[in-house]
This record gives sequence, C-alpha cells and structure tokens, in this order.
Amino acid sequence: MKNVLVCRGITKSYGSGNLVEQVLKRVDLEFSQGEASVLVGPSGSGKTTLLSILGCLLEPSSGELLVENSAVNFSDKSSLTEVRRQKLGFIFQQAQLLPFLTIDDNLSVVGRNAGMEQTDIDQRVNKLLDRLQLQPLRHKYPTQLSGGQRQRVAIARALLHRPSIVLADEPTAALDWNTGKTVVELLLEQARIENAVLVVVTHDTRMLPLFDRILSIADGLLVERQQTAATENTFYTETNLDHPPGL
Amino acid sequence: MLLYNRSRFAMTILGISLAYFLAAAQVGLLVGWIHTNSAIINHAGVDIWVMSKGTRTLDYGTAIPRQRIQQTLSVPGVKWAEGMLVGWVNWQHPEGKRITVEVIGLDNGNAGGPWRMSEGDISAVHLPETVIVDELSRQALGIIELGQETEMEGKRVIIGGFSQGVRTFTAAPFVFTSIENALDYVPYYRDDEISFVLVNCENAAEVKSVRDRIAMEINDVEVLTTEEFADRSVKYWMLETGVGITVIITASLGLLVGVVIMSQTLFSITQDHINNYATLLALGFHQKSLRSIILTQSLILGGGGITIGSLLFVISCQLTALSPIPLETTPLVSTCLTLFSMLFCVAGSWFSIRAVFKLDPVSVFH
Repeated sequence: MKNVLVCRGITKSYGSGNLVEQVLKRVDLEFSQGEASVLVGPSGSGKTTLLSILGCLLEPSSGELLVENSAVNFSDKSSLTEVRRQKLGFIFQQAQLLPFLTIDDNLSVVGRNAGMEQTDIDQRVNKLLDRLQLQPLRHKYPTQLSGGQRQRVAIARALLHRPSIVLADEPTAALDWNTGKTVVELLLEQARIENAVLVVVTHDTRMLPLFDRILSIADGLLVERQQTAATENTFYTETNLDHPPGL
Repeated sequence: MLLYNRSRFAMTILGISLAYFLAAAQVGLLVGWIHTNSAIINHAGVDIWVMSKGTRTLDYGTAIPRQRIQQTLSVPGVKWAEGMLVGWVNWQHPEGKRITVEVIGLDNGNAGGPWRMSEGDISAVHLPETVIVDELSRQALGIIELGQETEMEGKRVIIGGFSQGVRTFTAAPFVFTSIENALDYVPYYRDDEISFVLVNCENAAEVKSVRDRIAMEINDVEVLTTEEFADRSVKYWMLETGVGITVIITASLGLLVGVVIMSQTLFSITQDHINNYATLLALGFHQKSLRSIILTQSLILGGGGITIGSLLFVISCQLTALSPIPLETTPLVSTCLTLFSMLFCVAGSWFSIRAVFKLDPVSVFH
C-alpha cells in the first residue's frame, strides 16, 4: 500500500530564547492508504498540534510533511488551502456544521468548494446520507439534530469530496459512550470504504481496539504501540467499560 | 446565512436604517439651514445683485443710492433692474413685548419677495402700511388673522397676507412690504436709498460679462451673480458665525456617528459568525470565496438599510417641509451621502474580512 501521508523529522516549538517550549520532538510517521490510526496522550502532550500540522493548518518548526508524495509548502497559503480543499477531510469535536444551512447544503457546499460537478455532488450526497442513515434528516438544520446525528453529518462532510486523508479531533468528546462508539465505528467503516487514511485524536482509550494503529504521544515524543489481544479483550469486557485500561 | 436568524437580520437592517437616517437627518438639517440662509437670494429669480462694497449677506445689506437702478439699467445686456431694501426694526407684539424683525422692501416687480402665499396676494405689499408675514412667524409676531393691525417702529402696520415656507436663519422674522412703506419704518435709510439692485440679463449666457460691465460702470458698488451672492451669504452664516459652525459640527458628528454605527453593525454581524468562517477556512475555502460572502452580505444589509433609511428621511423631509427647521437635501448631497455610507459599509466589511483572514484555522480544533 502506498504511503499517502508522511512526516519526516517534524518538530514544533513555541516561544523564543530561554522560553522555547518544544511541543513536538522529531516526529517520523508514515500513513498508508486505508489505514486507521488513533492518536492518544494526556492533555497538552501535542496531539492537537500534530493533527494541525497533518491537516496543513499549522506550520512545523522543522521537518517535512508529504501528502501523496508531494512536500507541503507551508509558506504558500494558497497551496495549503488547495491541499486542504482537495486532499483532506476534517471532523471536529463539535461537528461545526454551518447552522444556517440544511444538512444537504452543508454537504453540497463542500463539494462545490472542491470543484465537483453538481451531478457528482448529488450522487455522492445521496450515497453518504444512505450509508450514514441520514436521509430523513437531509432537509433539517444542524440545530434540529442530536449530537450523534451531527457528527454523522460531519463524517459525511469530511468524506464527500473523496479526500485521501481524514483527520478527526476528538469526534466523540461531546457524545455519550454508546453514541460515540457508533460514530467511531461508522467513521472507520466509511474511511475504509473510501480507502482513506484516517487519523483520530481521542482521550477515550476504550476506542483503541477499533483502530489499526495506536500512536501515543507524551511530552512531544511519539511512540507507536502494538494492538494487543489483551487490549481488545479488555475493550469488549462490559464490566470494564467505565474503567478503561490506560496505555 | 443572513436569513437564518430572521430577527437578527431584521434588527441589523433596522439598525443600519436608523443609523443612516441619523446621518441623513443631520446632513438634512445642515442643507436646510444652508437653503434657509440663501432662500430669498435663490428665489428672487434674478441674475445679478448690486450692493454696497463688502456686503456679507442679504440680511446685512447697507444703503446705496436709488439712482444705481437707473445706472444699472443703462448697462448693455441688462434686461431690467429694480431695488430692494433690507432693514431691521422693532415689531410691537400684541402682548406688549417688542421683537426685532427684518423688513424686506420690494420694488414694483416684487423681486425678492415671498415665493409662496398661503393667504392674500403678494401685491398687497404695495398698499399703504401693509405687510406680508410668514405663517411660521405668526406666533412670534402675535398675528392671528389677515387684516390685523399692530405697530412696527411705532407706526401702524396692517397684515395684508401670509407667505408660506419663508424661513429666517436669524431669530428675526421677515416682514415683506414695498420699498416706499419700508422707508417709513426703517429710520436709518434716506428716501433715495435702497440696499440692493436686482438685475435680470437679456441673455442668461452673458450673466458674468454683464456683471463685469456693471462693476466697471458703477465704481462704488460690488456686483455678484445670484450664485456668488448665495455662496457668500452661506459662507458668512455657516463659517463666520458661531451658530453656523455649531450646525456644521453637529451635522458632521451626526454623520460620523451614523456611518460608524453602520460600519460597526456590519462588522459585528461577521463577528457573530467568526467560528463558521474559521471552519470554512479550515475546510479549504478560498479567501476570495469568503470575501465575496462577506461583501455580498454587507451590500445586502447596507443597501437594504440605506434604502429604508432613505425612505424614512424622505418622509421626514415632507413632514418638516413647512416647519421652522426643515430637513432638506439635494440630488448631489443624497448621492454623496449614499456613497459615503456605502463606503463605511464596505470599510466595516473590510475590517471584518481582515479579522476573518487573521483567524488561525487551528482555532477550529480548540
């Protein structure tokens, strides 16, 4: 499988002089097509910083980011916009749908922005709404939906323009456990159907067994953990649901 | 986006309308004042004014010999000329108090007289002891009806008619009569003196050359076209007197406050959606797309608000047309005001666009 997203020696520091704080310390990563990774770590460990760099939203202090084998030029704002527009899909903690547009329009506007043909947009919207069981809600506004429904729409929005990379920042943080689990399962399923790289940041360790890779970050250092049977077993033990295992 | 929150949309339009109306009303007051202090000059229907040198305004015309009328008539290009006398005298209010009035003495053609009558006829000024006062001055002068008698400078006057919409910029109401009658009341004019010679030219295209010829023929007077005299009068009242400067400052502040409110309203409506713009930036929307959204939004809100504000202003102009303090405008002023307001709307949008583009798209992750 080809590497769609590659980080080479990525670092990120804030401040200057004696007050420099290094948030990311030389991150080297490769994400293959269709691979689902989860990024975990305590608050302030650098998860969101790394996700922002992967999403071409934040320039690293050093290192190189390659998207589909092309180095991202962080000094060129318009090329960053183009990469985000064509190759990336985002899912945010609060869904962040546009409240003044219907679900249908929330999806269509992303397709139009990505330069898709209207017929293609219509087909794609229909397909995703079917797959995510959102058809009955397509003419409603985001405020008329539950948190879980909104996140399902956010998944559809992230995938609509067939991005090669989907990044999700704590997509279940505002949801209860069952709804959150359903959302993540749907996200994984859809990303796999689309053969997209999926990187999800979460605090919820109960989600870990669902992913292909577990990336743990602490004090700016990234460590890759192996998925173990024990983790999976623990995950599926209902008695442990309220006390999930740490890494 | 705009119609999503209809009450917010309505309040924004209303806010911009009222802000525009505030600005337009202040400018309208200024225009009303300007029109008022040059109204008699502009309504006289003449091309040229001959006056004593250094006359600042119609209200402060000083004596020139009546023979200047004949001298003016002898200048080539002059079609006709007649006199006007302006003086300040005491008016006896029926309740006992005395107030100062500005007497305008008219010649046979009534040039410089009231241009609209509500009761009586302008020719009444040529009857002995007869005057015309304006409807707006009835209360100030204590006049109730046509034919009422009172005293001016200790001599009897009879109300022969009421004019309409002849306002005064000073506190002294205008009282129109004939030059002959005026000479009886204004003590500091001799019988062979007037204040102005009003001139009409044979050819309207030659007004300036006729003006120059009169100035060459008659040495001890100043000769101005109607436009020049109106400008001088306006400049005197507006720039050389405290009241004029106060009106200008008030109008300027009103205009500034109005357009700044409009600008701020448009800025704040963008700020209300700042998170949505951050999301759009993160999703890869081009800056030009966001710019066009914000500008379109501003044009709809600004245009709608200005249109409604203009309607309010037009209604107010009509309602105040016959009041002592009218709101008035001209096509040029209205155009400038609209463009100025739109400029501030665009400025508000520009600042909000800057604020949006300064957004860190990373903020969507927080």
